[in-house]
Amino acid sequence: MRATPVYIICSLRPLVGKTLIARLLSEFLLLKNGTVAAFDINLKEPSLLEYLPDITEAAEIDDTFGKMALMDRLIINDGIAKVIDLGFHAFDEFFKMTEEIGFLKEAARRGVSPIVLFIGDTDRVSARGYPLLQRQIPSSSLVTVDNEHVVRGELPPAFAQGKVLHIAALPVFLKTYVDRLTFSFTEYLRNERDSSTELHQWIRKNYFSFREIELNLILQGS
Amino acid sequence: MAKPVVIVVGADKGGVGKTTVSRTLLDYFSANNVPTRAFDTESPRGTLKRFHPEFTEIVDMTTTSDQMKIFDTLNSAGPSVTVIDVRAGLLSPALASLRDIGFLDAAKSGQITFAVFHILGPSIASLDEIAETANFMHGAKYFLVKNFINDTQFFQWDQATYNSYFHRIKDATELTIPKLNEMAYEQVEVASVPFLKFVANKGPGEEAANYSFVLRGYVRHWLASVWSEFDRIKLTDLVGSGKSSTRGEK
Repeated sequence: MRATPVYIICSLRPLVGKTLIARLLSEFLLLKNGTVAAFDINLKEPSLLEYLPDITEAAEIDDTFGKMALMDRLIINDGIAKVIDLGFHAFDEFFKMTEEIGFLKEAARRGVSPIVLFIGDTDRVSARGYPLLQRQIPSSSLVTVDNEHVVRGELPPAFAQGKVLHIAALPVFLKTYVDRLTFSFTEYLRNERDSSTELHQWIRKNYFSFREIELNLILQGS
Repeated sequence: MAKPVVIVVGADKGGVGKTTVSRTLLDYFSANNVPTRAFDTESPRGTLKRFHPEFTEIVDMTTTSDQMKIFDTLNSAGPSVTVIDVRAGLLSPALASLRDIGFLDAAKSGQITFAVFHILGPSIASLDEIAETANFMHGAKYFLVKNFINDTQFFQWDQATYNSYFHRIKDATELTIPKLNEMAYEQVEVASVPFLKFVANKGPGEEAANYSFVLRGYVRHWLASVWSEFDRIKLTDLVGSGKSSTRGEK
């Protein structure tokens, strides 16, 4: 059986595009696999739950009940890809917990593949969080997201050592357009006949990047 | 034949985690393949026996017949390690009995390895217990266990006062048992299985269980911390198995 991917989208900073990437990835997985389970631990920021209510559940990790409810789902190799939109306020608690309960080892044992998408930034807080992830997450499962909208210019060299996923910045008017709660990336691809539009290409490029990550995952498992 | 080893786990105060520490010891020996038997002095119904029924016997240490059951069988061909979970309030009387039957002298002369795990409570009364226990400790390995499992706070102790008691016992060693997540602890209680079986997701009869992965993770992490304390005090050397134990992930 193929490994079940668990994508954890995280950052130590608010408003760096976590939910945007979680939306994109969830819609991509839904298009590719026909199913995806998303979890929103991000209720203090713009929320994935508001964008994709049909496939998203709210999750909390403030107490043990919440941790059990979330992690006991994530550790199941059921073939349904999972996406976690991890709010900046829950970053420390989440990774402290995964380390304590041995999530990575148990995941490997059960055929579950966690992939951490860390949204890099140039500030000191991000610089502190990245080494923490590097200690816990194997480099093959740690991807730095270079969101051009956040990092104007080069990513700090420390982040650029491993895998990097580049997300191009959208013009402001398109950003406003995709930020609408009713907007769907896949629906846009389906309905927009002109494939040369900037948004069309932007979505296709990002879907292609996600497909690359998925392919790497299959190669690692084989 | 291996020298018999007797480990007494006790405190004069109740609710400080004696049975929890006994359970971690039994799991530790089990993981290190050290044949062990246990006696639970919470007569008539014992908590330790509920978790380790296969090698735990309930005894009343105040009766001569049960004292004979424990100590007259030390040199028999059975397991070389005996763990006695002494119920609250019985530690000092139990040690006095051991002195009276000549057991402490046998330990002093090296015929028996004798260790006491004295579980401390947060109150100053525990310090008085140390002073009282010190009178019996010649020839024994003495471990003072600060047990944080039930969120005990030791801050009310003045360190200088504590040290003055601590140093009364020659070669006393201090151990710290960290706190375990309350819900994880509760689930192990409900499951009535050894910590090791809970981590391995097994029921009382080795059947597959369905414990929460998160809670199992917390127990595994905690048990590894407790066992690293046992490794630090070279417990396997003390009981003569001499194995280095690296089974935190077991």
